[in-house]
Formats: sequence, C-alpha cells, structure tokens
Amino acid sequence: MTLFFLGIASVLLGGLSALALRRQASLAAIAFGVLVGLGCALAVVPAIRVLAGGVVPDLRLSAAVPGGDWVFGVDPLSAFFLVIVLTVGAASALYGISYLAPEAEHRPVAASHLLMSLEIASLAMVVTARAAMPFLIAWECMAVLAYFLIVFESDHAEVRRAGLVYLIGTHTGTLALIALFAFWAQFAGNLSFDALAAASPRIPAEGALVFALGVAGFGFKAGLVPLHFWLPGAHGAAPSHVSALMSGVVIKMGIYGLLRLVILVGAPPAWWGWLVLSLGLISGVLGVLWALAQHDLKRLLAYHSVENIGIILLGLGIGALGLRYHAPVVAVLGFAGAVLHTLNHALFKSLLFLGAGAVLRATGTRLMDRLGGLARRMPFTWTAFLIGSVAIVGLPPLNGFVSEWVVYQALLGSAQVPAARAAILAVPGLALIGALALACFAKVGGAVFLGRPRSPAAEAGGEVPRSMLGPMFALALACAAIGVAPMIAVVPAIRVGASIGGLGGGPMRAAAAAVGPSLLGISLLAVLLVVLAGAGWWLRELVLRRRPRAWSDTWACGYAFATPRMQYTAASFAAPLLHAYAPAAGVQVERTAGAFHTHPKDLVLDRLVLPLWERLRRGAFRARPIQHGRLGSYLLYLLGALLLLLLYLAVRVEGVGP
Amino acid sequence: MSWSGIAAVAIVLFIAPLLPGLAAKTKARLTGRRGAPVHQLYWDLARLWRKGAVYSRTTTWIFRFAPVVLVLTGVLAALFLPLDGQRGVVTFSGDLVAFAYLLALGRFFVVLAALDTGSSFEGMGASREVTVAAFAEPALFLALVALVLATGRLSLTGILGAPLAHAWPAAAPALAMVAVSLFLVLLAEGSRVPVDDPATHLELTMIHEVMVLDHSGPDLALLLYGSALKLALVGALVVAVIAPRAALPPLVGLAVLVLGLMVVAGIIGVVESVMARLRLDRVPQFLTAASVLAALGVILMLVA
Repeated sequence: MTLFFLGIASVLLGGLSALALRRQASLAAIAFGVLVGLGCALAVVPAIRVLAGGVVPDLRLSAAVPGGDWVFGVDPLSAFFLVIVLTVGAASALYGISYLAPEAEHRPVAASHLLMSLEIASLAMVVTARAAMPFLIAWECMAVLAYFLIVFESDHAEVRRAGLVYLIGTHTGTLALIALFAFWAQFAGNLSFDALAAASPRIPAEGALVFALGVAGFGFKAGLVPLHFWLPGAHGAAPSHVSALMSGVVIKMGIYGLLRLVILVGAPPAWWGWLVLSLGLISGVLGVLWALAQHDLKRLLAYHSVENIGIILLGLGIGALGLRYHAPVVAVLGFAGAVLHTLNHALFKSLLFLGAGAVLRATGTRLMDRLGGLARRMPFTWTAFLIGSVAIVGLPPLNGFVSEWVVYQALLGSAQVPAARAAILAVPGLALIGALALACFAKVGGAVFLGRPRSPAAEAGGEVPRSMLGPMFALALACAAIGVAPMIAVVPAIRVGASIGGLGGGPMRAAAAAVGPSLLGISLLAVLLVVLAGAGWWLRELVLRRRPRAWSDTWACGYAFATPRMQYTAASFAAPLLHAYAPAAGVQVERTAGAFHTHPKDLVLDRLVLPLWERLRRGAFRARPIQHGRLGSYLLYLLGALLLLLLYLAVRVEGVGP
Repeated sequence: MSWSGIAAVAIVLFIAPLLPGLAAKTKARLTGRRGAPVHQLYWDLARLWRKGAVYSRTTTWIFRFAPVVLVLTGVLAALFLPLDGQRGVVTFSGDLVAFAYLLALGRFFVVLAALDTGSSFEGMGASREVTVAAFAEPALFLALVALVLATGRLSLTGILGAPLAHAWPAAAPALAMVAVSLFLVLLAEGSRVPVDDPATHLELTMIHEVMVLDHSGPDLALLLYGSALKLALVGALVVAVIAPRAALPPLVGLAVLVLGLMVVAGIIGVVESVMARLRLDRVPQFLTAASVLAALGVILMLVA
C-alpha cells in the first residue's frame, strides 16, 4: 500500500505543480506530465501484484470520527478497477496538457489540471476504500470535482446547464447511497466493509432494500436507462479529455459499486439478477439507438457509453443469476465478462473521445454534418479512431470482441441452468446492439473522416500535435494487445469474477479451463486476420502494379458536377433505422419541400425529467411567500420550530419514561 | 483439423461463384428466357481480375483495403463451419459468435469503402445495408440460440453435428422454423429478392450493387467474389440445419453439401421469379418475421 499512496501523492504533487508553475507554461507541462505519469505507474504496481495472485496488506487508520476506522485495501476487484483508473487517468491527463494549451489565455487551465489530478486520486480512493465513510467521502469528491471539470467552458450557457443537470443527477444518486449505508448500518457494529459484510445475513428479505438502493444509487453514476439523462449533456459539454475520463472511468464506478455490493452481501436475490439483466438489455438497445440519432459527435459517443454500460450489466446480471442458481462457471464468466468489458470500454471509449477532441481542436466543430474528408487531413487521428471504432463495435481482432464474446459465452452457458434458461434470450439482444453499433460507427467514420469536407472548417483541419496522438496510440495499442492476446486480460478478469462470487479456486480454474482453448482460437483468429490482411494487401498491390491505374472523380451516375453538399449526410444515413424504430428512437422529424431535418430528443430528460422539474418549480413558487426577507417572521419561524421540538421531546420522554 | 475439412473449405471456396449463376439460370428458365451460362461469374471475375482500375480522387486506402477484408473474413469464417459434415477446420466453444462477427467485420469495411467515395448513391446503399443487417443479425442469433438449446453445444461444429441429428425427431417443428428463418436471413445476407435485387439497373433501388459502384478491376472482382462466398457460407448453414451429415462419411457429406447448396440456389431462383422485391420500408418487417419465426423456435425449445 505504501507504493500506492506514494503514487497518489505524486499525482497530487503533479497537479499542484501545474498550478504553482502556471507562469512558466512549458515547465508546468513537463512537471505535471512527469509527476502524474510516474504516480500512475507507481500506484498500479500493487494492483498488478494482486491480479497476478499476490496479496497486499490493508491499511487501517484509527479515525476519531463516527463510523469506525478508515480502512484501505486492494483485493482483485479493486486492483482491476485501479488499473482502469490509472491507465485511462494517465492517458487523459497527458492528452489534456496539449488539448487545453490553446485556451491558456482566457480560461483557468492550471486549475483544470489540478482538478484532474485530484479526480484521479479520488477515483483511486473510491476503489480502495474498505469502509463506508471514506468510500462516501471519496465518492462525493469524485462527483463534485467532476462537476468543476465539466464546467471548464462555463462561459457557454449550455455547458452550465449540462453541469447543473449532472450535479442534480449525481447527488440524487449519492442520496440513495447514503440511505443504503444508513439502513445497512442498523444491523452492523460499525461502518467498515467487513462489519457490513458480517451483518448482511441480518438484512431482511435477503438484502432486498440494499440491492434496490444500490441499483438506484450506483445506477445514476453508471448511467443506465432511465437514470442516464444527465450523461449525454455532461459528456458532450466537458473538455474532451475530461469526457474521456468521465466515460471511461467515472461512470464505471457505478459498476464497481454494484459488484462491491455483491461481494459484501453475497448472492443477490433472483429478481435482482433478472432486473439487472433487463436494465442491461434496455440500456444497450436504447443507448445505441439514441446514439444513432445524434448529430453532435461527442453526444453520440456519450450515448454509446449508455449502450456499453448495458453490455456490462448483461454480464453482471447473468453472473448474479449464475450465483443464485449455483452455476459457478456461468457466474464467474458473467462477472468476468462484466469487468473485462468495463476495462475494454474504458480503453476504446477514452480513445474515441480523445479522437473526437482532436477533430474538435482541428476543425472547431463537433457537428458531424459539417465535417468530412478528415481521413486525408488527419491520417493518424483517423487510424486511431478507426481502431477504436472496430473495437467498440465488438469486431475481431480487437478487445471489444473478446469481452463481448465472454458475455455471450456466459449468456449461452445459461442454457445448461434450468432456472436461468430464459436469460439466453438476451443473446439476440446483444447481437442487435452489435449490429446497431456497427451502423452508428459506419455513420461516424463516413460522415467525419471519409468523403469530402462539408464546410470550410473541415477543409482547414490538420493533424494534431504528437503529444495528443501519443496517448491515443497508447490506448489503441492496449486495445490491439488484448485483442491479439486475450489471455492477458481474461485470466485476471476470471480471477476477479471468482472473487466477486466468493467462489474460490475451484470454479475459477473450471472457468479458466472452459474458455482456455477458445481464447487460443480467438488469438489465432486475430493473428490470422492481421497477417493475412497484410498479405492480401501486398498481393493486391503486386497485381495492380502491372495494371493501368487511373484517377478520376467519383462516379455520380453520369452527373459531372457533384459537390460535397450532395454527399449522403449523417442524418440521412441513420434515417431508415430510426424510422424503423420510430417510437423508441425519440427523433423529431421535420420535413419541408426542400429539406429534411431530424432533431434528437432524449426520451427521459426532455419528455419526463424536464416537464416534472418544471411542475416542481411551479409548485415551489407557491411556497415562496413564506420566505420574504422580513426578520421578524424568521424569528417567529425559529420560535415555532423550537417549540415543536420541545413538545416532541416532552411527549417522547413521557412515553419512554418509567 | 482434418484433410477432408480443408478439402471441403477449398471446394466451397471454389464453387461459391456458381451459386449466383445457378439462381440466375433458374430464374431465366422459369421466366422463359435462356439466360447466361451458370458459370458466367467465373468469366466475369477472370475478366475483371485482368483489368486495371480507376479510382476516385476522393477515396483513401479504406476504399482499396475493403475488398481484401471482405474476402479474407469470408475465408476465415468458412474455417469455422463443419463443411464436410464432421468438424470445422478451426473450432472452439463460442466460435458461432466469431463466425457472425467476422461477416460483420467484412460488412463494416465495405460500408466504410462506400462512404469513402463521397457519392450520395453509395451513401444510400451503405445506409440501407446497415439497416438490413441490423434486422438480419438478431434473426441469425435467434436461430443459433435455438440450435444451442437443441444440442447443448456452443460451437458451430457442435450445434450442426451429431446432436442436431438426434434433436430433429423430438424438435422437428422448432427446427423447421429455424431453418426457414435462416433461409430468410440468407436472402438478406446474400442481397437477394425480396430484400435486394441483383438484377436491377436503377441505382436508386439497389442496396449491395450501389455500394460497389466505384470499384473496378481486381477490387470489384474481390467484392463480387466476397459476396458470392457469403451467400455460400450462410447457404451452408441452412443446408447443415436441414440435413445434418455427421453420420455420413466426409466425402458423402461434402457431396450432400454441394448438392444442397445447388438446391438452395435453385430455390433462391424460384423465389426471385415468383415475387418482386419489397418496398424498402417493408424490408424490416420481412426480417422481423424471420426473427419471430426463430423466436418461436426458441420458445418451443425453452418450454419443452
């Protein structure tokens, strides 16, 4: 643990030095980059040791605060999430140095770097806390710091609004978590996780209330439908490297919380498994459908986070069902699929957000129908973005395929578990999610990078500096590594999966043996794909070298003056699918004689939350006369409240007394 | 890995271009024409392969890379199918997901190549292709789930092997539904009537054809071969469900497959001559029907 805290201290020092040296920009950048990078590298060591089967002793601080000692520790689940926090955290922070540099004149860049390092530290604390008090404090720090990171461009009204919606969403979730631990604490001596775990058998109805509050509280953070409504706005409005950290890591804390809950309480009731599975399916399908409707690149990516949380929940749900129905291999594979997809999504989604940030920096716009043709102008960004796209669609030979395959394997494995057989119906759902994601990323790639520029802004775009490409390619390399050698990630994920169910070595080895040959097969497939694609390309070049090759305009069926405006737009590309799913897609179509516009609406935020909010606000107006600023009446209120309190105490003492 | 398996893959790779020819011939005969020879596609491929190529100035490497990926994913997907009736060349638990996702990878790159041209026609084709695929994919997976439930296996070799033959007598209605559903998926994946019409001459009404408008020479040859191969692979899946060949010697199994593929191509020709293609916004309904059929099969298995 010493190494871990040393690393976190280095990260914090990096943030402070960015603030202290803000007058010397280049020195501050070097100090921040080196200290944060070094800190993350140091702190990840104990995590890797645990994932390799080692043990790291807990750290116990005797605190003179209510709720008992503060305990910090690294078990396999913490270690796995720590790896996610530190890799994506480092990549986002390093990318942020160049990304924010052009804004140094008019916005508080140094403060944003400091907030970034504080955010990484609080995330690391969330996953290592072993008592409710430090957990909730770190949780709240993470949430509030993220708010300040999001509203970096606070001079824009829509950024402020997105930040406010985020703050309300996250605090509603925290409220549920406080209720959860308060309720749980009634049955336990203190608030350390060990004590809470020991008390879990005493919670009535198999912990029903704890699990329900967990879904609500952690669900808000994870952004599962219908609790996702704060997410697209916040991730769209934040600076791109902050969006990468939010989508890649912060929302995953909701998944961490749910898994931690399963560890502490034990096998969840069956209804909870089915609930999580259904929420996963709903989030997955609706998330990708809503993504398809977006015009703003970053909002689109944000909705894909909702989709991928859905895929993770499918794994979590089938894992919980496997645990309940005593099918250890299904349980291990389900949980392993969930954590593995968490890692993979963190890698490719942060890669995609960093790519979107590069596009934004180069062109100044996030609107896909104003972009196009960037593959020629930003070849490296396009390569990295394409790798991220293939990965997020879940196609071989990259990491997305590996984790989706593990989730498929768990779902298909439920065929052997009589009570959970219906879970196999999630398989076609996952296939639908994959096919829609393919459509969506074909749209993104086509509209943003391929074809011809649709606006002068896109025409002016050029490649971003190496300091921004570096983190992108590091993440792309990680995606490729897990795709080509899946064992390096699946084996630790299975260790984590077994630890979540409290299943121990037997089921862990059984699950590893069950997927071992398949992993070799997937690895072989990936290698064959890469090698043969290279060989095929080379052969094709060899053949064509001796043939006449000519360059011409795109064939427009005999029409010679095709302009960029005549290209198929992103909106038109998605139109047939959105039309087919019309009621669920939430798209408002506006058709005039010469134009076709689609306006994406969030079915939960725009149709449910905001109208409700408006009604609440109007109701609150009616209560306003009681607060009119006259001192006299305030004193009267105080007196009244005191009298009521005394009355209550008097009655209570009367009732309890002898 | 067995020699008969590798030979079977080689034979399927070789006869794939025959299937569109057979379908076209059947259609021609049924509509009273003589039609092109069944081996026309071989000649077309050879002719295109010898030509040079014209590229749009808008296009990038994706445009030239996609044909390679399409053929490669088809060939690799063929390795997973038990084409000789015994076992696939490569087989592992869960390879059915790899099979479907390989085909999707090929589709992804062809769609990107279409968008790479900046042509409104190709954009339209690409948009329709992903729409059709989004409805065909759940149907395909529902059919695979039904087979998993019927056999208790998780590999293509397993679900199309001996346990399937044993499952037929007990679950004939469900498996028949699955087979029909897979045939409908085949019509969509192979770009055939009523989803797409390979014989149409109007770009506005095409799906697959319009996506490859700009490709020429060897690139076009690869694309044409790749789509013929996809037709053969999904066709082989249909044949394997209707006629499990695990009990037959590999050579006989292979002969049954070749015969079965020809029958399937003939049926496609019959379908094309008796019905017109659907209006584009009816295609999702058609494929939803395929999903519903397969889902009925799954539900029959679940309650059994």
